[in-house]
Amino acid sequence: MTDPPVIWLAAFVTVVVFSYALKDNYVYRLVQHATLGATVGVTVVVTWKQVLLPRWWAPIWAAWQGTVVDPLTGQPDHRGLLWLLALLPGLLWYFQLSKRWFWLSTLITGLFVGTAAGLAFKNQILLIMPQLAASIKPLNPFVRPDPALTYGPAWPEPGTPAAWAAALNNALFLAALLATLFYFFFSVRTDHRVLQAPRRFGRLAIMVCLGAMFGSTVMTRMAYLLDRLMFLSHDWWEGQVVPLLRFFPGG
Amino acid sequence: MRLLARLHRIDRRWLYVATLVLMLVPFILPLTLPAGHVARTTRAAFELIDSCPPDKVVIIDSSWDAGSQAENRAQLEAVVAHLCRRRIKFVVTSLGVTALGPDFARDIIRPLAERAGYEYGRDWVQLGFVQGVAGALGPLIDRFCRDLWGLYPRDVHNTPVEELPLMQAVRRGADAHAFCCFTYAPAYEWISFANAQYGLRLVFGCMTIMCPAYYPYIDSGQLAGMLVGNVGAAEYEALNGVAGRGTRLGVPAAFGNCAIIIAAVLGNIGLWAERRGRRAAA
Repeated sequence: MTDPPVIWLAAFVTVVVFSYALKDNYVYRLVQHATLGATVGVTVVVTWKQVLLPRWWAPIWAAWQGTVVDPLTGQPDHRGLLWLLALLPGLLWYFQLSKRWFWLSTLITGLFVGTAAGLAFKNQILLIMPQLAASIKPLNPFVRPDPALTYGPAWPEPGTPAAWAAALNNALFLAALLATLFYFFFSVRTDHRVLQAPRRFGRLAIMVCLGAMFGSTVMTRMAYLLDRLMFLSHDWWEGQVVPLLRFFPGG
Repeated sequence: MRLLARLHRIDRRWLYVATLVLMLVPFILPLTLPAGHVARTTRAAFELIDSCPPDKVVIIDSSWDAGSQAENRAQLEAVVAHLCRRRIKFVVTSLGVTALGPDFARDIIRPLAERAGYEYGRDWVQLGFVQGVAGALGPLIDRFCRDLWGLYPRDVHNTPVEELPLMQAVRRGADAHAFCCFTYAPAYEWISFANAQYGLRLVFGCMTIMCPAYYPYIDSGQLAGMLVGNVGAAEYEALNGVAGRGTRLGVPAAFGNCAIIIAAVLGNIGLWAERRGRRAAA
């Protein structure tokens, strides 16, 4: 349950942010800067409380105090102090601020770039390979394809209108896939009259995709607006303003 | 024709006001729309979770905060309501995206779990946040699948995981029946690491803006199901038979979408009329 002052503040900030749709104004800018400041503050506190304190500082402090006991020997376990070593690579980042010692920061950035590249390579292989396999789709409506070799929903009974619809859908998919790939084929001249039709179809497929993406963007923006309207109507108006109005005569 | 051409030059602020007024109508008048078509992606997600056997759990990664609560909140509510109705046990994590994730998830899940008579530790567990680097969540997800106890030695209440009865059945993330990720844009590493390497069946709940990026993975079977924005949440609620936030938001969203469509059509008519008028003048 959120405290009433927080709800009133949130309602005020919401209305002020909406006011920007009509005209840029001083109060909006004030709220914008306050939000940025609060976000940074919250991030610092939350990072310390939820990450650094329990996962880094607490093991160090416990090892320093000797409160951690090795289950095998029964002696205090001081290995948690090794977490102090994490400061060394962490501090290397700050050498970016020095022209003379900048090269030291490249050690840590190189490590990060190398790791990220390796992970990205593995990620892409595991993402794309199944996509390639799934691009090979059955086109014959009279034959039931081997389920072990096909993806997606179960293939309908062969020869039925549903099988024809599925085959047509797959044919459209393959045509769009090949035409789109062809549209981005820049190695040979594609201005020949015969090649113009697949290029145009490829462009059409891309435009349909972009249209779908734009539509989903509009829906997301609408959802943001709705969330705030829901908050104003439910949490603020019904939860705060209406009970307050009851105190007035005739309320 | 000149009147039509003026449609193209309407001040955009009037469009904002018209959209806002239309969207406010369902908040004032108790309007409802019938639950229509349910998308294949939503149905697949529902059926996967619904088929969870009694000795298995569903893992929910709730990695959203105020930035994407507009859609992720309704999705999480819908799925948790389903889990509670079917008495399916679940574990909640928040991996690598936002440190505020556990707080937002707790505010939604705890009332639903308490209402369903769920006992913390036995029927559901919240493990909390683990820091990760955006774009390089692979190692974290790999460890999640391999060694959940190692990744999360303690839950959000600082209780060692080995002392929680529910966690005896979930030593590895890969042991789960299904994994649902609710965030603005679920990481692709869930597909490449958790699904490709460990065979974990995935359900994504993402913002509508991100859904076109994930549809190819549905067709290839790499994703088991997906909830697309508030529409996905409303569809899920319809399958579950419990109207919630997704259903409530569906009506004003439909009004708003109608306003946008009408504005786009009128704008195009105005553009056509203006061009025609210019050509006639020339």
